Amino acid sequence: MKKLIVIAAAACMLQLVGAQGTIKIGGIWPLGDITGKQGSMAAQLAVEEINKAGGVLGKQLELIVTDDELKADKAAAAVEKLITVDNVDVLVGGMGSGAEMGKIPAFKKYGKVVMATGAASYTVENALGADANWYFHLHPWDYNQGASYADGWDAIQAQYKTIKIKKIFLAYEEGAFGKASMDQTKKLFGNRYKVDGASFKSAALGGGDYSAVLEAAKDFKPDLYIWAGYDADALPMLEQAKAMKFNPGIYLGAPPGWPIGFGTSRLSANVMLYGMWAPAMNDTNKVSKKFYDGFIKKFKEEPATYFAPLSYSAIYILADAIKAAGSVETAALIKALEATKYDSPLGEVVSFSKSNVIAHQGIKRQKILQWQSGRQEVIWPFESKTATPVYPFPKWK
Amino acid sequence: MTLKSRTAIILSLAAAVLIILWKPTVLIYGVQQAGLYAAIAIPMGLVLGIVHIVNLAHGEFMMVAAYATYFACKATGMDPLVALIPSAAVTAVLGWIVYRLTIRRALKAPELNQLILTFGLGIALSQGINILFTSQTRKISLDYVSASLDIGDLTFGVWSFIFVVFAAMYAYGLKFFLTRTTAGKAALAVGQNPKGAAIVGIDVDRTYGIVFAIAMALVGAMGALFLTRSAIFPMVGAPFTMKSFCLVAMAGIGNIPGILAASLLLGVSESILRAFRETRGWADIVFFVLIIAVILGRSIKRRKS
Amino acid sequence: MNKNLSRLITLVAAILAIFLPSFVGAYPLQVARNVMLYMALAVTWDMLLRSGQISFGIAGLFGLGAYASVLGVLRAGMPAWVSIPFAAIFCGLAALGIGFLILRLRSTYFSIVTLALAEIFRIIIHNLHDFTGGPEGVVLKDVIFGGAADKLYWLTLGGLAVSLGASYWFEKSRIHFALTAIRNNETSAKSSGVNIFSWLLVAFVVTSAIQGLLGGIFVQSYGFATPESVFDANFTLLPLAIALLGGIHSTVGPVLGALLLGLAAEWLKLQLPYGHLVVYGIIIIVVILFMPQGLLGIARKTFRAADRRKA
Repeated sequence: MKKLIVIAAAACMLQLVGAQGTIKIGGIWPLGDITGKQGSMAAQLAVEEINKAGGVLGKQLELIVTDDELKADKAAAAVEKLITVDNVDVLVGGMGSGAEMGKIPAFKKYGKVVMATGAASYTVENALGADANWYFHLHPWDYNQGASYADGWDAIQAQYKTIKIKKIFLAYEEGAFGKASMDQTKKLFGNRYKVDGASFKSAALGGGDYSAVLEAAKDFKPDLYIWAGYDADALPMLEQAKAMKFNPGIYLGAPPGWPIGFGTSRLSANVMLYGMWAPAMNDTNKVSKKFYDGFIKKFKEEPATYFAPLSYSAIYILADAIKAAGSVETAALIKALEATKYDSPLGEVVSFSKSNVIAHQGIKRQKILQWQSGRQEVIWPFESKTATPVYPFPKWK
Repeated sequence: MTLKSRTAIILSLAAAVLIILWKPTVLIYGVQQAGLYAAIAIPMGLVLGIVHIVNLAHGEFMMVAAYATYFACKATGMDPLVALIPSAAVTAVLGWIVYRLTIRRALKAPELNQLILTFGLGIALSQGINILFTSQTRKISLDYVSASLDIGDLTFGVWSFIFVVFAAMYAYGLKFFLTRTTAGKAALAVGQNPKGAAIVGIDVDRTYGIVFAIAMALVGAMGALFLTRSAIFPMVGAPFTMKSFCLVAMAGIGNIPGILAASLLLGVSESILRAFRETRGWADIVFFVLIIAVILGRSIKRRKS
Repeated sequence: MNKNLSRLITLVAAILAIFLPSFVGAYPLQVARNVMLYMALAVTWDMLLRSGQISFGIAGLFGLGAYASVLGVLRAGMPAWVSIPFAAIFCGLAALGIGFLILRLRSTYFSIVTLALAEIFRIIIHNLHDFTGGPEGVVLKDVIFGGAADKLYWLTLGGLAVSLGASYWFEKSRIHFALTAIRNNETSAKSSGVNIFSWLLVAFVVTSAIQGLLGGIFVQSYGFATPESVFDANFTLLPLAIALLGGIHSTVGPVLGALLLGLAAEWLKLQLPYGHLVVYGIIIIVVILFMPQGLLGIARKTFRAADRRKA
């Protein structure tokens, strides 16, 4: 009988120690969308890798994932649940700006550290305010992206003398994403280039007819043609551009993701794109290769958007900071995060600095890439470059 | 028609003609879009007119057909146009099964139950596809979709005219079916007066099933055709359900050739508004304003008579 | 069911609802707020349904109220709590005007027009960038009551109480007979002296005002509005499903339906983070097929059987 009691007591103690022995990370992503789904999967991968290597401060990491359904009210409920029911120590995740807005009142209420992997809209930053020092924004703001591209085109034109841009035309989808892109482009490029644009209804929202914008673009005769829409617009717009024999010097797409098999289409040849990561980076970046191989091995599918390596980075950044701080206590963690220097799979060394409103902005630089032979190659920044650009965009036969 | 309304119509027609002469592509693309809208809306008109249910999963059936066509074409290397007939057949069978399992039971219940049933069906279908194939877009890249024509200094795509062809085929094919064949005439009778038709000995339930299957066959063919021009993803069908519903109401329930006229009006108006920078953002609204105008106008006319 | 028993149950439910914040945490309160919002919308939809008119425009008036509230604060300097009844009045007046145009229409045509109007509101707000903030929407400096979970809960509960109260009034007053008569047979209603148009207008204005009120409450609780978030089709379709699953032409029906669907949705999300929406759709299908009168229908049948056994 005594033996049983001792064993029972030992079991209880182990339970207690075990329960105290995890660091809980609460992750909120739109699980019904490929970006959020793979973001959560990549975060899981990072957690597993870290746990296998011994965990953090002797404890295992535990990731609790909740769906925000891309809706503000569901996102707010997710924050409440993770903090009050699951008692997480830190929060991670995010993709859409609308859902992020819903979370902000709850974030402010609890003041726990948030490692945000999404939300590009400046409206989110304005809603956060300068006091939100617990908010670490890994993903660039839309104006960061715009400024980065301005730098990028300067660098490209300086390096490759045949590429000359005087006129820029932006076809933008009529929602918040498109409008923000147009505003940013006008603001950042308007004084040095001639900029014009036209709105269209994205195929993702029931549109899919680009004849009007392509006609407007054709009339403008741009050197750089950019379209800001969604993956559903990529091929149909190219097909319609070919049908109208519209041939800008540079044809560039800026969707958050690309359709499956885009690279296999002949039309993809030499389309340029804005982005943050591509599998081609495995050739030049060891961290990227480690992430990519690990993702494929665990999930048997390819990471389709940059949200996967971004969420992977978020977990590693948090883990490193918790190690450095020695605890999950918020003030200590914030101090440790401020000292972050993480070599990420995106080719950037991540550190946090001030942006327009908040104090802790992570990545500010984007990439300019080009589809070559069915693969996305990095053209700029030159430190991460995997290929030289093909210019001009080939004429339709 | 009063003199005032006649002059209004003539003036707007003249304005439209002038715009079209100035930017001819407006008419071309407007007609192509109209064809797409009509071809998708006509099957819904058939179901609404005869079975009297609003199928809120209409777009989702087309989406499922498009996905099936996509995978069939990827696996066998065949062209989506070749897959048109098998796709129509498979979707018809799917429609028949769904009808017998679910819709038939709800027919005895009030109209609203059928609406919510199809709403639930739509969610189940689109979310089911989302789980199976993720939300990432897919498209088959085909050369002939970029076929174009040069007239003077105009260059425009011609592939989308196929939607106009299909819309016309559907409308006149159905008209022929409903007025010349026995099965069709029975269906028409059932649509106008189910109880009367039952008394005369028509098997109402079987007719409903056949009509639904035919409509789904048309939707299935459209799914294959849609794949050639547009990228597919789980939620691609939803906007078309609403547009089709609105077009059918605008044409008047039971008026299938009317759907062609309504689509034409809609497609060209949208195209005109899209052509100019100032009005581009308002192209969507013209659809809904037209619908309200037509429905209100018809109701006022009916009350005056 | 015995009248005294039902009164007792209502009283107990009301007390539980009011004191809920004292015994549950922030997350259940958040879930409760979502459930109550959809419950209130479902009740307003049912109120108009009792006249035989099926509205597909809830999202339109909800969104209109939301923007009226937000713009009232941002452009006219109203305090937040004033902007909510302002939204209700604004939508009521809008419905008055719209009602003269559209309340002569019947069945599918009425439904389509309400749907079209909702979309027109959304697109107008989407396009008037300077006044409404355009597609990016507008942000409020503060959430009402500083975001305190219990006060936000009571605010939404207040909105629900208004909705339930109005529905109950519709059931117990002359309006009930007028609407039922119109629904059953307009011609005989007219010959009995019922002024169909006036009664429809009353129903339409009252329900639209409440939908606007709820829109104001929603937007003040979250502190921002975008055309896509407040004119979301789910604000039209889910209340429909809720009212039907619960049992139409009653106040209790939508209440039951909202509890069923709202709690099921939240529970499913926890069990199946990656696939919960499919099951949600299947639940709707199954309930509609096997319980065509809704939950209330099942409840009524059970009580009738029990009463019969007693006799």
